[in-house]
Amino acid sequence: MSWDSFIWFALGAVLLWAAGAFFAWKEKKVWVYVCTLAGIAVFFAFILGMWISLERPPLRTMGETRLWYSFFLPVAGIIVYSRWRYKWILSFSTLLSFVFICVNLFKPGIHSKSLMPALQSPWFAPHVIVYMFSYALLGAATIMAVYLLIRKRASDSEINLTDNLVYVGLAFLTFGMLFGALWAKEAWGTYWAWDPKETWAAATWLCYLVYIHLRKAKPGEWQTACVILLVSFVCLQICWWGINYLPSAQGLSIHTYNLK
Amino acid sequence: MWVKPWNMKEGFLVGGGLLFTGILLQVAIGPIRWELFAWPVNLIVLVLLLAAIGIMFLLRRKVYAFEWLMHAGAAVPCLVYAATLTILMGLLPQVRTGGMPWLSQMLRFWPFVLIWTWMMVISALAALNHIFRWKVKEIPFILNHMGVVVAIVAATLGNADIRSLQMTVFTDEPEWRAVDDAGTIHEPGLAIELHRFTMEEYADGTPKRFASDISVYTIDGKTVQGTVEVNKPLKVNGWKIYQYGYDVRMGPKSTYSVFQLVRDPWIFWVYLGIFMMIAGALCLMLFMAPKPVRV
Repeated sequence: MSWDSFIWFALGAVLLWAAGAFFAWKEKKVWVYVCTLAGIAVFFAFILGMWISLERPPLRTMGETRLWYSFFLPVAGIIVYSRWRYKWILSFSTLLSFVFICVNLFKPGIHSKSLMPALQSPWFAPHVIVYMFSYALLGAATIMAVYLLIRKRASDSEINLTDNLVYVGLAFLTFGMLFGALWAKEAWGTYWAWDPKETWAAATWLCYLVYIHLRKAKPGEWQTACVILLVSFVCLQICWWGINYLPSAQGLSIHTYNLK
Repeated sequence: MWVKPWNMKEGFLVGGGLLFTGILLQVAIGPIRWELFAWPVNLIVLVLLLAAIGIMFLLRRKVYAFEWLMHAGAAVPCLVYAATLTILMGLLPQVRTGGMPWLSQMLRFWPFVLIWTWMMVISALAALNHIFRWKVKEIPFILNHMGVVVAIVAATLGNADIRSLQMTVFTDEPEWRAVDDAGTIHEPGLAIELHRFTMEEYADGTPKRFASDISVYTIDGKTVQGTVEVNKPLKVNGWKIYQYGYDVRMGPKSTYSVFQLVRDPWIFWVYLGIFMMIAGALCLMLFMAPKPVRV
């Protein structure tokens, strides 16, 4: 399996996800699950194929992390759908996943098999996969925030959905961060070194904590809370790929394997 | 403002006061010198911090400010300050010495440290409050708040006690001396003998795996044999021995191997905090947010 065959798997998956999204609007529940899960299976088959042919988990390059992001968006979408039955959530997750698939089609990144010794660890896969799932959930929370801010009103259930997306997203963000710390101790002897990526991870984590505590302290001020979600998401993007362009992080971060 | 019940405004003022105090301290005594916190100073600071938290908790019914600290309204401003300073730290290049004073050595910047300390106090008080009105459903809250305090306080106070040395060992020549960052020679109480350094490369010449077969002889007469490689350190007598480097010009033919020896007496507490946080996050994921209350 290689990036050359990506377009066919991606096309199949997106068509199935689009069909799932369509059936969500038509309220045909069984078909929603059948199509969405089939799309997820098709997409995962590609990831698995890459994993086998690369002889390492496809998690190293930016393109490979985008692959997981495209995969987890519909996963998060179907979980939200099964719990809250939002008709639009699958359309959104399909669209966003499609955007990331397009980025990968036009800019796949490098195809190298090599994985430097520091990355050869049982922590590698959980560290990155957990982060990507968290990014997908927090991306969904961001869209909710934008939607509520534009509409200028929010029902209890909509705010509750946003809260839940943030809670679960933050839980996974915490897993990613702490798995990273445990791994770093095994690889470098330090669990936290305030490397630029770590600093931004801490900043992002604190921003989402502001949201959660603000929601508790002032439940009525949901608009401020939504604005904080937007700020948090900007931090998240800086942490994920923005630091590659930040002058303060040039040549300092040990998290720059994907730049090679 | 200052009309009970206090909420976030008061917190922003308290934070502003801490920033101001921090700046005064920074001007008066300069950046924090963390190396001064080495044992037993860190233990004394820890005892004082715990005593302060304990007293605040006991006086919570008498002193309204202490009770207020336990609520989310006090946490929000604290987190906002902490997030802002951390974002600044991410935006400005951080240096060990020199550079733009204050903000380019954020970890030694008094306002940053005071705000984080405030965060630890708030989090510990909130955790205590939930411990003392014990119910099973309080467990996630306690794990999250206590975990972060245990991990961060242990990591911060324990930092000065971490010993990190580098030892360069040539094949078949036991070595017992190691150097620290400043180049000072130390004798960590163990000797390493390198039997064999092995290295595999990818087709493009980048390293795939490098490892050292070693024997470690400790000062108390133990001998430990093992292989050290990246991501697989060896633990001997409280030291963790990491594969650090080799002669990069010689690659697989390197005649020496460089090890990093790390000793961190506080690591247990950091791990305990981390595992509490992981358990807390697991609870967040499983039970999710409580139903919101509209005000």
